[in-house]
Amino acid sequence: MANKIINWIDLRFPLTSFIKHELTDYPTPRNLGYWWNFGFLAGFVLMLQVLTGLFLAFHYKPDAAIAFDSIQHIMRDVNYGWLLRYMHATGASAFFLVIYVHMARTLYYGSYRAPRELMWWTGQGLLLLLMATAFMGYLLPWGQMSFWGATVITNLFRATPFIGDQVVVWLRGDYAVGDDTLTRFFALHYLFPFLIIGAVVVHLVALHSVKSSNPSGIDLADKDNIPLHPYYTSKDFFGLGVFLIVYFIVVFYFPHSVLEAANNVPANPLITPDHIVPEWYFLPFYAILRSVPNTVGGVAAMGLSVMIFAFMPFLDRSRIPGGGRYRPVYRIMFFAFMLDILVLGYVGYVPPTSKTIAIGQVATFYYFGSFLLLPLVSKAEDRWLFKRGLPTKIKDLIASEEEEKKKRRQR
Amino acid sequence: MRKLIAPLALSCITLFPAHADEIKLEKFQVDTSVIAVERGVDAFMNACHGCHSLKYVHYRDLADFGIDKDRITAWRGDSTLDSAMASLLSDEAALQSFGKVPPDLSMMVRAREGGAGYLYSYLTGYYLTPDGKTSNHFFPLTKMPDALEISTATDPVKRSRILEQAHDIVSFLFWAADPHEAERETLGYYVIGYLIILTVLLYNVKLQVWSRLKA
Repeated sequence: MANKIINWIDLRFPLTSFIKHELTDYPTPRNLGYWWNFGFLAGFVLMLQVLTGLFLAFHYKPDAAIAFDSIQHIMRDVNYGWLLRYMHATGASAFFLVIYVHMARTLYYGSYRAPRELMWWTGQGLLLLLMATAFMGYLLPWGQMSFWGATVITNLFRATPFIGDQVVVWLRGDYAVGDDTLTRFFALHYLFPFLIIGAVVVHLVALHSVKSSNPSGIDLADKDNIPLHPYYTSKDFFGLGVFLIVYFIVVFYFPHSVLEAANNVPANPLITPDHIVPEWYFLPFYAILRSVPNTVGGVAAMGLSVMIFAFMPFLDRSRIPGGGRYRPVYRIMFFAFMLDILVLGYVGYVPPTSKTIAIGQVATFYYFGSFLLLPLVSKAEDRWLFKRGLPTKIKDLIASEEEEKKKRRQR
Repeated sequence: MRKLIAPLALSCITLFPAHADEIKLEKFQVDTSVIAVERGVDAFMNACHGCHSLKYVHYRDLADFGIDKDRITAWRGDSTLDSAMASLLSDEAALQSFGKVPPDLSMMVRAREGGAGYLYSYLTGYYLTPDGKTSNHFFPLTKMPDALEISTATDPVKRSRILEQAHDIVSFLFWAADPHEAERETLGYYVIGYLIILTVLLYNVKLQVWSRLKA
């Protein structure tokens, strides 16, 4: 009977062939480490956010007069409303954490290299969408930090040439952040996840065309590939279990660590908090914004600091695959860059003093410097490594990659 | 999460001047047992409720928590069981007496950096200045009078009774800011326990699946 139904469907819809092509026969490199779990985790957290967000939207009121009250209604009166809200708030942080690890893995192993540039760029688009969604979602509790954070960030668009003031009014729907801003941010916060889902589909279509990268940095021969299911599905689900344990420890025992104290005070346009800080996932970019003394320059630097990742396929001039795995200089640059981001995060977090501003400026220079010097450094490193003589293993990798490239060109 | 990442960075995100950072806060251990919260409500009704409301806390919530019904009846007076614990002081009258509307206290423990420790330090931080005025170590600009009268209490027995009262009030306010805290912590054990067992099983599934490859 079951077979009959499947046959009936298969005549009308490519169900079996889809499962075969994308799951049970889909080739994945057998040497993927646990760093390759984070794409799956990002997809999972997206679904978690959409679901908890849906149930929160049943009870939330996007109206400046009652938004704050409706959050308390969710926290106190709605059955397990507190759980939904803590899951959603923690989920936002978890989403960024997972995405940042996913990006760091791509950078470390050089997974952005040909032929995966489109994966990297669609990922970059996803990051922007995620940032916009998180920013708009943060306004919804309508607390002090929501209000002032949105005021500060929308104000940055004043840096737009010629039409800055109009753009700010257009974004806010009013001259100041207010009820109109809240209502439209709610509508957009509900819309954007669906754009994200669409972009994820594009990201996955690209993935299934070029297949997963792997620590060696080159595409493996067929014998070194294994089917996604059951090998990587079992590995992904184990990773998911570990992730959920950590996530729920925060949800149940440290939920206030993702919620600002100042955001438990209703929004008040007449009282500015002493110290306006964005959420942790924006801190490095915020530090770059503050490091530039000029507003327009700061906004441009902040925008560039997010977008500059897209240039990686062009900036990395090395012929050696595998990124940090086979390239000692690149590896050092990678870890120094990670450290630099942590320093920037700290600088973005503390109230500015002349000392932290100086540290922030040095860290900002280093941030952009590591991208801008990469073409020279990677070229020099490449020459040095070739002169020193590559291990045969890496030579083989490069040779087989060249062969792959030739094959691709012929196709 | 942010605090996990930048634990060293002490915050100054309060709506009020950040004097809390300059003086060390009292160490504070919250006691959210029904008895302590019940004592806390009692002290709150006597010392705070004249001016401060708890608009998100209803008398029914106290009953649901397990506090003695007769005492709730005494506290609420003419208000219904379903009404919020609103103060009788009108905003206009408050403005006239204090120059400021006293803030709602439902979320106060969560609305200040330092949380319960800050509130306890603040409540017990009143002292007499040399020229006989009342001030507060943690919030010198406060408009609130020394409700617990600790600044004029010299008798050690009386002082320790006031400290206990402050402790009970803050414990009650801690409960009021997040009434589901106890439920959350209990549920957490079950969820995380379940996940640990599940993850161990998933790890074994993974090992078993991958063992086919070695052959």
